[in-house]
Amino acid sequence: MTAVVDVEQAGTPAPAAPPAPRRPHRGWARVVRYRWLLVMMLPGILYFLLFRIWPMWGAQIAFKNYVPFLGIQGSEWVGWHHFQEFFSNPDFPRLLGNTLILAALSLFVAFPLTIVLALLLNEVRLSVLKRTVQTLVYIPHFLSWTVVVSLTALLFAIGTGPLSSFLDGLTGTETNYLADPDWFRPLILLQTIWKSTGWGTIIFLAALASVDQEQYEAAVIDGAGRWQRTWHITLPAIRPTIIVMLILQTGEILNTGFEQIYLMSNALNRTVADVFDTYVYFTGIQQGAYSYSTAVGLSKAIVGLVLIFGTNWLAKRFNQQGIF
Amino acid sequence: MRTRRLAPLALLAVGSLALTACGSGGSGDGGDGGGGEALDSLSIMAPYFSTTPPADDDPVGAKLSELAGLDLDMQWVPNAEYGDRTNVVLAGDEIPDVMVIQQKSQGFVQTAEAGGFWDLTEYLASGDYPNLVTENPDVQQASSVNGKVYGVYRARDVVRTSITIRKDWLKNLGLEEPTNTDELMALAKAFTEDDPDGNGKDDTYGMIIPAWGASIGTGSPYDAIETWFGAGNVWKDEGGKLIPSFTTPEWKQALDYEKQLIDNGYVNKDYATMDGSTQWNEPFLNGKGGIIIDVQSRASQLAGLFKDKDPKTYDQFVALQGNIAGPNGDFALPTPGYSGFLAVPKASVQTEEQLKQVLTALNELSSTEGQILENNGIEGDNFTVEDGFVVNDESKQDYTDLVSGSWAQIGTNVAGYEAYKPKPETEYDAELEKERADLQAKDLEKAVFNPGAALVSETYMTNGVQLDQVIADARIQYISGQIDEAGLDAAIAQWKSSGGDAVTAEMNELYGQLG
Amino acid sequence: MATTQTTGTVVPTPTSSPRARRASKPSTQHQRFNTRAGRAFDVVNVVMLVAVGLLALLPFLYVLAGSFATELEITTRPFFLWPREFTTDSYASILSSDAFVRAFVTTVVVTLVGTLVQLALTALMAYPLSKVDLPGRRTIMTVVVFTMVFSAGMIPTFLVVKQLGLLDTYWALILPMAINPFSLIIIKNFFQQLPQELEESAKIDGAHELQILRHVVIPLSKPVLATFALFYAVGIWNDYMSPLLYLNDQDMWTLQMFLRQVTASASLSAQDMGAELPPPAQGIKFAVVIVATIPVLLAYPFLQKHFAKGMLIGSVKG
Repeated sequence: MTAVVDVEQAGTPAPAAPPAPRRPHRGWARVVRYRWLLVMMLPGILYFLLFRIWPMWGAQIAFKNYVPFLGIQGSEWVGWHHFQEFFSNPDFPRLLGNTLILAALSLFVAFPLTIVLALLLNEVRLSVLKRTVQTLVYIPHFLSWTVVVSLTALLFAIGTGPLSSFLDGLTGTETNYLADPDWFRPLILLQTIWKSTGWGTIIFLAALASVDQEQYEAAVIDGAGRWQRTWHITLPAIRPTIIVMLILQTGEILNTGFEQIYLMSNALNRTVADVFDTYVYFTGIQQGAYSYSTAVGLSKAIVGLVLIFGTNWLAKRFNQQGIF
Repeated sequence: MRTRRLAPLALLAVGSLALTACGSGGSGDGGDGGGGEALDSLSIMAPYFSTTPPADDDPVGAKLSELAGLDLDMQWVPNAEYGDRTNVVLAGDEIPDVMVIQQKSQGFVQTAEAGGFWDLTEYLASGDYPNLVTENPDVQQASSVNGKVYGVYRARDVVRTSITIRKDWLKNLGLEEPTNTDELMALAKAFTEDDPDGNGKDDTYGMIIPAWGASIGTGSPYDAIETWFGAGNVWKDEGGKLIPSFTTPEWKQALDYEKQLIDNGYVNKDYATMDGSTQWNEPFLNGKGGIIIDVQSRASQLAGLFKDKDPKTYDQFVALQGNIAGPNGDFALPTPGYSGFLAVPKASVQTEEQLKQVLTALNELSSTEGQILENNGIEGDNFTVEDGFVVNDESKQDYTDLVSGSWAQIGTNVAGYEAYKPKPETEYDAELEKERADLQAKDLEKAVFNPGAALVSETYMTNGVQLDQVIADARIQYISGQIDEAGLDAAIAQWKSSGGDAVTAEMNELYGQLG
Repeated sequence: MATTQTTGTVVPTPTSSPRARRASKPSTQHQRFNTRAGRAFDVVNVVMLVAVGLLALLPFLYVLAGSFATELEITTRPFFLWPREFTTDSYASILSSDAFVRAFVTTVVVTLVGTLVQLALTALMAYPLSKVDLPGRRTIMTVVVFTMVFSAGMIPTFLVVKQLGLLDTYWALILPMAINPFSLIIIKNFFQQLPQELEESAKIDGAHELQILRHVVIPLSKPVLATFALFYAVGIWNDYMSPLLYLNDQDMWTLQMFLRQVTASASLSAQDMGAELPPPAQGIKFAVVIVATIPVLLAYPFLQKHFAKGMLIGSVKG
């Protein structure tokens, strides 16, 4: 598989002009050839060693009964105990289901909307308008979930909220949308879209900004319509970005985020609202059970890692540039 | 210091591995008295509520240091982040001499049981520190870990539960304050159906209940009603055995009562979702709902809001009633009576001599003089005393708020609250204050304390939050009609099988040992 | 390779001023969209986007209005965009304190310096990694991806920061988060998509790797670097956990810590015997949202102008 990757990627630049054919560099010769680049990377590598790898020895508390006072070394070794506890929990299937459904909604609804919004913004000619709208849609990103949830409560307040009254009028019954289990997921999705779509477009707009304008002009001369230009120029140009974002998103599938869900959940919708992140909060963090939450974090990380590598491999199979 | 701060940048710019340059250092000054010598300062870690913590040269701090005979080295931590910070501090090696411990969390209990904190039981009982001798042994016991007192608790009012009622509505309908649960139901009905505001519209309801965290025994309106019905307080002693209150028939009876309130529409429709921290007052204030079961301060707070609206008529809207009788007797729901405690870590206070120094200092900090400094500030500067009440200097209100939001947090008041209380501004305020005091005295006699408060069950430590959630959710689901009685029983059975039985067994074992 | 190569004409950034370029653009755009269907789409698109923009703005306007309203108005009126009684009390109570001014200045400086440091470190690492046959690349990337999905947790990281002697320094707010793996991967991929010819020709001219990065790669990647500058800046700006854990000295505190404390609600049940702490006013909470948000909102248009600058580069393969 590595060979495929190397060939594929080494071939990507394929410059039309004087080809600088890449000879395969092996071993020491490669190091020598890239010595300055390697030196350039040193600060970064140092960073990863110091702040990302070194603290990982702390992850061993997942296998211990960690008591801060006793220190990591002094705490009792319990092996897979915390993992067993997590996976044998009778609520585990429900938590997994709820988590995956919310992740799927975000992946298949919120994510494409981000791209659509970026494309629509890209079609605006008037640059003042484009910039204004761009700035406006990213405001929600800065409002905390507390604010977003209290605004939701205001809009959907039973009997009095403008949106709940409207929906009640359609259905003819008075519903407490905030407590109804059937409405939990739509509301979460709505909030996610509102809060993060605008912010999410930034990265695609950056990619779109790199598209050569002359291509469009050439396409216009060839008589290509707007749709054709989007399909043949714009989308291919941001496809690598889309794929990378997609791959990275799948790694986050088990991270639904804690705050939003916690604030939106209540006694009546908890059956659909409980996800791993809220569960860990209640069982682990709130009680200072660090070992347990680390064990859950580790399990989630492994799943995330497998998904990232899996989708990355898949992307490569379809001749797309992966994340590495 | 300057070079220290620049070191990492230089390090990165060069990109070298000169790690050692900043690897050392950090031999902090937290644990003074590394050996056995006497302490020359007292470091205290405490939460604060004020906008900013007191400055290093704060005058109250200086006076308290003088009083304590040791320089106070305060480590102020914002209250909201106190729990996180506590755990990080315990993991580090710069542990203060005294720490406010806010709750008996797993981290604290494990540390204490591993010998990380001094057991103060004997020292406090010795009488050497008169200001640290509790006036309420029940509360001290409740603050302990299975009978071992690891800290000097911070005393709080024991009775706070009360019913706040729209006074004008009572008057309009010619009704009296309720004295039992039946009358409360009748009142809720009348407030809903009999047009208490006299506007000819059906736009009022009886009781305002907000969504409560997924916990039980935390002073919710539901908890209060259940205690009034005789279900006990979290645990109930039946023939020397502890049983969870929600397994009693009285609890179910209380739930049916709550369900009746909901089913008949006597409660706000969003009882399962209303945000209590921001919206509880609003329906009361706007004349939509007329009854709130909460702490007494709710009444004062509402009176204050009515005063903002109209200072002339504000005394006509808020009536206060205490705990009321239920069908099975007359009970009152007390608070735990304390809010965390001041514990002494052994990592920094290593010898008994040092411990005695610390306790002597805490004793002084809990004297009348100390309490006044902590709660009121500096007499003649930010406040004066009139008829035994404090009158704050309005131009220095910011400083008064700073004091009550920070220094008050290290006050224990275990031997009684000796500082000045604020002078009521009007006759009505004085009346309300007096009523609160009277109700507290009256309700204390019938208060039902949690018999398991001091006991720390190991299973509960790890699974308690989740277990409580099962019951708390089932309660709301039952009264809302989402589940029926069989569903409620199933939830209790789930509680038992997923750790509840172990909790009950452990609690009873500890209960037996404690006597 | 199934991928089609669209090798656009690569024009090295000419010396023409951005204004001149911008001025010339609309005319070509007019030419290309001037059909009836195109205009109809434009109208619909603009109307829709304006609606979306307003939808995003309205709640913010409510918060803004609330921050200038009295407490009584906030508790008695459900939703409004203009306060009946206008007051700046909420702001006065936040802005009047010396601590606010100090925290604000501190945060601005830390954010600026931190963003530069973080962006520089990320770019320096991303560029070598964009070379596909760099020795050790795969290993490093695997580690990067792993650290993205799994972080060691609060206490171990705290202990490392402490051991490095960074406690009570502002570097503790910058360095532990210096390279975000996610940002690194995206920037690396952008670099990878850049046309190799430019770099190759620069190399033939005898340019050093660092010079290529500075004079060829970075100018071509301005949009993406501006984007991540914003991400990093917002990250530092909004961070309150790092200052909480790493700064003991209250004089060093940042804006987020200050603002959080202003709004930290002292629930009634946590109160004291003597003086009762009133819960923080809603108006103050609203004002805090505004104060914390406005500076970063202002940063965006400033960075936005860089978004258009990299667009002369040739478009890239898939």
